[in-house]
Amino acid sequence: MKFVCLKCETYMTFEKVEKPAEGSLGVFFECPSCQSRFSMVTNPGETQMVSSLGVQLGGRTEAPKPLEMTRGGLEDNVSAGMGQMAAYLNEKIQSGQPAAAPATPVASAVPASATAPGTSSEGGGCPFSAMVAQMGLGSTGATGTSAPPAGTQLLWTPDAQEKLAKLPSFVQPMVKSSVETFARKSGFTTVTLQVMDDSKNASTEGIKWTPEAQQRLDNIPDFIRPMARREIERLVKERGQSEITAEVMEEAKEKFMKFM
Amino acid sequence: MSQQNDLKTILNKLHYSDDAKVVEQISAQTKLVMARMKGIRRKVVVMSGKGGVGKSMTTVNLALAFARMGQRVGLLDVDINGPCVPQMLGMRGKGLLDTPEGAVPPTGPLNIKVASMDFLLQENAPVRWKGPMDLSPVWLGLTEMNVIREFLSDMVWGELDYLLADLPPGAAADKPPLLVGLIPDLAGAVVVTTPSEVASNVVQKSIAYAQELGIEILGVVENMSQYRCPSCGEENPLFEGNTDSMCEALGLPLLGRIPFDRNFARTFDKGEPILDGDNPTAAKYQDIAKKVHTLLDYQHVLDGKV
Repeated sequence: MKFVCLKCETYMTFEKVEKPAEGSLGVFFECPSCQSRFSMVTNPGETQMVSSLGVQLGGRTEAPKPLEMTRGGLEDNVSAGMGQMAAYLNEKIQSGQPAAAPATPVASAVPASATAPGTSSEGGGCPFSAMVAQMGLGSTGATGTSAPPAGTQLLWTPDAQEKLAKLPSFVQPMVKSSVETFARKSGFTTVTLQVMDDSKNASTEGIKWTPEAQQRLDNIPDFIRPMARREIERLVKERGQSEITAEVMEEAKEKFMKFM
Repeated sequence: MSQQNDLKTILNKLHYSDDAKVVEQISAQTKLVMARMKGIRRKVVVMSGKGGVGKSMTTVNLALAFARMGQRVGLLDVDINGPCVPQMLGMRGKGLLDTPEGAVPPTGPLNIKVASMDFLLQENAPVRWKGPMDLSPVWLGLTEMNVIREFLSDMVWGELDYLLADLPPGAAADKPPLLVGLIPDLAGAVVVTTPSEVASNVVQKSIAYAQELGIEILGVVENMSQYRCPSCGEENPLFEGNTDSMCEALGLPLLGRIPFDRNFARTFDKGEPILDGDNPTAAKYQDIAKKVHTLLDYQHVLDGKV
């Protein structure tokens, strides 16, 4: 992109780039003849487009690192990877509630030997069971055997491992990820039963729920709870706080009056 | 200093210079890809306009088959949003090794070098890009193209006989032009389909599009042709369709038919791929790999003679 000084009938020269705000670039030009200067300011979409090209306006001062744009462009894996779904599954499954409404409603805890429909590990059933199993996150009981590519390997105590192994195989990877994310954020190197329990009450945003607040959250009907959790966490995050207490819940009550 | 001149007149008098150095950097990126690809004898893409037909399974097994033939093989998982090659080859948890020369891809079964977005992600993490998602249509395509470009330019493949690229589903819109533009001397494409009429229709469109772009279609692989009973090994039709007719109409060779083999598929799901070429399904992939190899040699011979 070039700019022309119509008064001097010449191209303006690129001068520098500044970052006036998040998601915005200020690109400065100057007329070499009359020294008039102006700055073009980009919106977030335009800024991202420049970034997507893998170039630096004005040229590079050092050679790009391998996969620089790819790595730099990825959202933080930890928060992206865990997400609401993982935390939701962790909370639900560890609490002994079914992860999703099964064909036949089950009110009690998931039995230790329970497996999801179509995830039977032995042959002889539906010829497409392998495909169905793959849809269920591709897990075939890989409990505690794989580690995230980045980061340190966490140790799992035998009892924690046993508890994880008792969960339906198709949710194990997500619960494991959620617990490990919590453990890493909290500085644990070993996952114990206590860490697993604590992780249920910790959100992926690093926000802690006090037992009382958690109890109040649990009173919210199932179908609306994840949304309520997100909203309350957002509220707390906006305030720069990191703990959700009964007091916070009281403040949020107005918003969710009909559910609490 | 006359302001009455129109812009066209003004521009005719001026000499353009790339002082923001954008063109220079993009040109350097392209040159880097060219340099990286120099050590690779044959670059083949595995594509299909249809999702779920088994492109990754085909790519992985062709890679294994070429490796069994003593070829040095690299596998590029171009499916940015759904990378599954590392899992199929039992390579989850491995990573790229950064060196001053670039990123060195890890080596999997039969010494196959693999590059995949999966190596940059944590377990079960989706690919999420920074940036305003409400404006993502503006930049997302460009980002993905440049991610592929980086995977081509920044990977230290070394000397390879084959580089196989597993394209994402629905790759008709943007990926083939990108690959044609980026990969010098692309040997051609292997197209995967299933015998279903729906798949054939979509696949035909992607073949036509690829051919328009000058991509040589090496042939078609019909996947899930039959269902192989895990107990007795008997094969029965899974879909009703006619890939033969499609190939005949398009003037393309049908490279082979692969049955839906539950036991075979399961080993890849578990990351414990069957490496033995004597396995009946692996043997079918082996035949396809031999055909592709012969086809490319034949073209090579012709190139030399014409």
